[in-house]
Amino acid sequence: MLLDRLGKELLFLDGGMGTLLQEKGLQPGELPEIWNLEHADEITDIHRRYVEAGSDMVLTNTFGANALKFHSGKYRLEDIVKAGVACARKGAELAADGREVYVGLDIGPTGKLLKPMGDLAFEEAYLAFRETVRYGVQAGVDFIHIETMSDTYEVKAAVLAAKENSDLPVCVTMIFDERGKLLTGGDVPSAVALLEGLRADALGVNCGLGPRQIFPVVEEIRRYASIPLIVKPNAGLPKQKDGAVFYDIDPEQFAGDMRRIVEMGACVVGGCCGTTPEHIRKMAESCACLPVLCAEAKEDTIVSSYGKAVTLGDCPIIIGERINPTGKKKFRQALKDHDIDYILKEAVAQQDSGAHILDVNVGLPDIDEKKMMCEAVEQLQSVTSLPLQIDTSDPETMEAAMRIYNGKPMVNSVNGKQESMDQVFPLVQKYGGVVVGLTIDEDGIPPTAEGRARIAQKIIREAAKYGIARKDIVIDVLAMTVSSEPEGAKTTLEALRLVRRRYGVRTVLGVSNISFGLPGRPLINSNFYTMAMLNGLSAGIINPLSADMMGSYHAYRALMNYDENCREYISRYGKEQQKDQGAVTAAPAQITLKTAIEKGLKEEAALAAKALLAAEEPLDIINSQMIPALDEVGKGFEKGSIFLPQLLMSADAARSGFGVLNEAMAAVGGSDEKKDKIILATVRGDIHDIGKNIVKVLLENYGFDVIDLGKDVAPDVIVRETLKRNVRLVGLSALMTTTVASMEQTIRLLRQRAPQCRVMVGGAVLNREYADMIGADFYGKDAMQSVYYAKELFGRGIDKQ
Amino acid sequence: MDGRMKEALRYLGYGRHAVDERTMGLIEDSFAELEEVADRKFVYRIFELIRDGEADIRIGRMQIHSASLGRNMKGCTHAALIGATLGIGVDMRMKRHSLNDMARVVVLQACASVMLEEYLDECQAGLEKELEAQGRFLRPRFSPGYGDFLICHQSEILRMLDAPKKIGLTMTDGYMLTPVKSVTAAAGISTTKEPCHIRGCESCGKRDCSYRRN
Ligand code: SF4
Repeated sequence: MLLDRLGKELLFLDGGMGTLLQEKGLQPGELPEIWNLEHADEITDIHRRYVEAGSDMVLTNTFGANALKFHSGKYRLEDIVKAGVACARKGAELAADGREVYVGLDIGPTGKLLKPMGDLAFEEAYLAFRETVRYGVQAGVDFIHIETMSDTYEVKAAVLAAKENSDLPVCVTMIFDERGKLLTGGDVPSAVALLEGLRADALGVNCGLGPRQIFPVVEEIRRYASIPLIVKPNAGLPKQKDGAVFYDIDPEQFAGDMRRIVEMGACVVGGCCGTTPEHIRKMAESCACLPVLCAEAKEDTIVSSYGKAVTLGDCPIIIGERINPTGKKKFRQALKDHDIDYILKEAVAQQDSGAHILDVNVGLPDIDEKKMMCEAVEQLQSVTSLPLQIDTSDPETMEAAMRIYNGKPMVNSVNGKQESMDQVFPLVQKYGGVVVGLTIDEDGIPPTAEGRARIAQKIIREAAKYGIARKDIVIDVLAMTVSSEPEGAKTTLEALRLVRRRYGVRTVLGVSNISFGLPGRPLINSNFYTMAMLNGLSAGIINPLSADMMGSYHAYRALMNYDENCREYISRYGKEQQKDQGAVTAAPAQITLKTAIEKGLKEEAALAAKALLAAEEPLDIINSQMIPALDEVGKGFEKGSIFLPQLLMSADAARSGFGVLNEAMAAVGGSDEKKDKIILATVRGDIHDIGKNIVKVLLENYGFDVIDLGKDVAPDVIVRETLKRNVRLVGLSALMTTTVASMEQTIRLLRQRAPQCRVMVGGAVLNREYADMIGADFYGKDAMQSVYYAKELFGRGIDKQ
Repeated sequence: MDGRMKEALRYLGYGRHAVDERTMGLIEDSFAELEEVADRKFVYRIFELIRDGEADIRIGRMQIHSASLGRNMKGCTHAALIGATLGIGVDMRMKRHSLNDMARVVVLQACASVMLEEYLDECQAGLEKELEAQGRFLRPRFSPGYGDFLICHQSEILRMLDAPKKIGLTMTDGYMLTPVKSVTAAAGISTTKEPCHIRGCESCGKRDCSYRRN
């Protein structure tokens, strides 16, 4: 059994396949997997040569064999995969000579970028991999080898496909550059955290680099990984001569370098591009007698996103609490309106304020939590690289979010109730994650620190049954409101110390609960926060936009020598001091709201709006200052004296002015006027959304309620939303000729199902005639045109010259 | 004003118009931001070029029907396929700014285009130097989707360059490159030197050139 040998003895993989096939006549761009059927003997022979050279594990010629590449062609994917396995098996049998040789189903990337930045949905990628896995399993492979992956998201889809559709060992290698980065920006610790969370059986690096360049990457993986390490470099860096690509490290040198790599701790070694049976033979000879270094278990508590890993260590970190509707009217409304941007803005604001992890809770009685959570998680990952904490009490939502999350998430939460542990631990076992354990059980929250510690222990023990290590549990000893629970704060602090000391686990705490019902809450919160950190809090769940809390945090770090030379502290608070002093001498020059908007000055616009509110009604301010300013700028843009960036700066300034006025209106309960609704979307197949976003900003400034359906939106979704929300105007954008067809299709469907609705279109490839041809009502040659059209349509008159 | 700034203003449509200070500042910031997030990557590969007719050529095993490409690559024995990208970080940054600063997105997008062109020019110059040492010369680069060089060749070019694996360059089902700030192109290689303009025939002064594509 391979699993019994992995990590305990040195195993040799095979070498390059592509290079050898090219020697035999494979053309660049030709699909090599077809050779499994057309030239099966050649493929078998290559496998045979590798086994003869000493490979214990050979990989099938199925690197690109997935449902996305092989569904329309002459050959069936099933035949290609099964033939590939047969070739490898036969090659192995021919040369094994009594040795045990394992055949691995080779799985490479799809060659597509996943959503939200690309157009391949995570589940589609999963299904594509699943098909290959199933054929491989049917054909009787011994293990699954996922390699050359440069995207953590895609690799997650592949590992899940392998794990859910087989019981075989799963080996995974990714492609790092010299800086130890993936092409999609991830680093070594984040990749390791993800793969170990998904329970890969061995992990490592292949391709991209030659053996020497790969040394530092190998070292870094060793530092983080607790499972067996695979290394499969190229025979040097690629060079070109006369149009042919070649690699120039010869077998001797390769063998010497691979020896170093084994000494560094690799226990499965082979070669990638440019390596030949000779490379493998020399490597096997030179490494044969080397001892294997077992990977030791690492104890760091790490969560990750696609781009980075965050360690919960001695120096406390911040979990941003703001993506949570509890007690927030606006947030609740945003959820009801399906306003994802609202959530994304909260995320960006928290990141900019210094959060390290973002809690995501979108639970609300009357919305589909699972759907909303998945959408939020997916979209958040396109604007922030911070790891997320999936916060829900619904196990189904939890599983769905953990599945589509691109990384090793933090999971909030499990508690000491058996039912909760039975539900949550299997998910953590399967998808990986660091789970928050609340010290509450069937009997409630124990009043004593000792009682809470006992629940912590119960959680840790139960988790161990699932193979969940202690490092992947953080304990929340819960903070009780001090106004009703006089000893509450003291108990919490004591419990923090206790679980830290007794079980060595990291801790987390929602801090702001403590001050509930008291005046001056920030004062209590920030002081309690400091005390909690001093007593062993690893991660406070706080509001990073609160100056008091951040003050406590940075002061604590400076005082406890976590902030080297107080650098961070000085960079944050040094400036403030200067600002204070500066304010005394130079009073800000007064400018009118109109000027601020025309000049595109955001802060000034807000200030001016605030000043005007002292004497005027919000609506009057809008009509007398804001609308004229916007019109002025719009006209300038039409005439060509003002350009797009300025138009948008003005729009932003106006938006900040509106923000102030809207708040004032909301305060007196008068802002609920019915706004005209407009749907905007970039059509299916089109992922460029700048044009659409520009139109959105402008329309919003003119008081329209813009429902932004995003990019790459299917016709039926647009129609459905149009009908559901009773919308009279839909704006569609398409940037390329290839996607105008789907614009036309959308219009046709709208005509059939929502004949009362008008359609305006825009985008680089369109013009008046083209727009007429596909049946649009209006073609907006620039963003302002769309505004004028909307105003006209909704009977607001046109004040354009 | 440096060349980059001028180019960015051109992309933004300023032409000869005076530009305000805030936009200039935004452009400067954007270039600085791009230096931080862009992860420039380049891949090329040279293939034999076979001519099957005036408007029919083959680059490696890719068959192309295009009159302008046929004309432009006349007399060429080989062609280079090129792929370049600024990386996914730029896309993400734009997405992030589009939440609350569209002016920045528009400027960033223009600056990214400038940066990508610059980078391609740089890479191309390197390639030219290499080729010239062997007495071979590069014609202007040509991207699928322009003129009669059909966009549907995108997928084949990416595959021939092994671009997803080499530089993380992929495409959507609708042939759009992802990351968005990316380019693929083909450029002819011949043994005679033409006074080619790095930005292609459109910018070239040699009006009577028989290889002119436009
Ligand atoms: S027109 Fe200029 S750029 Fe185009 S092929 Fe001729 S010399 Fe080269």
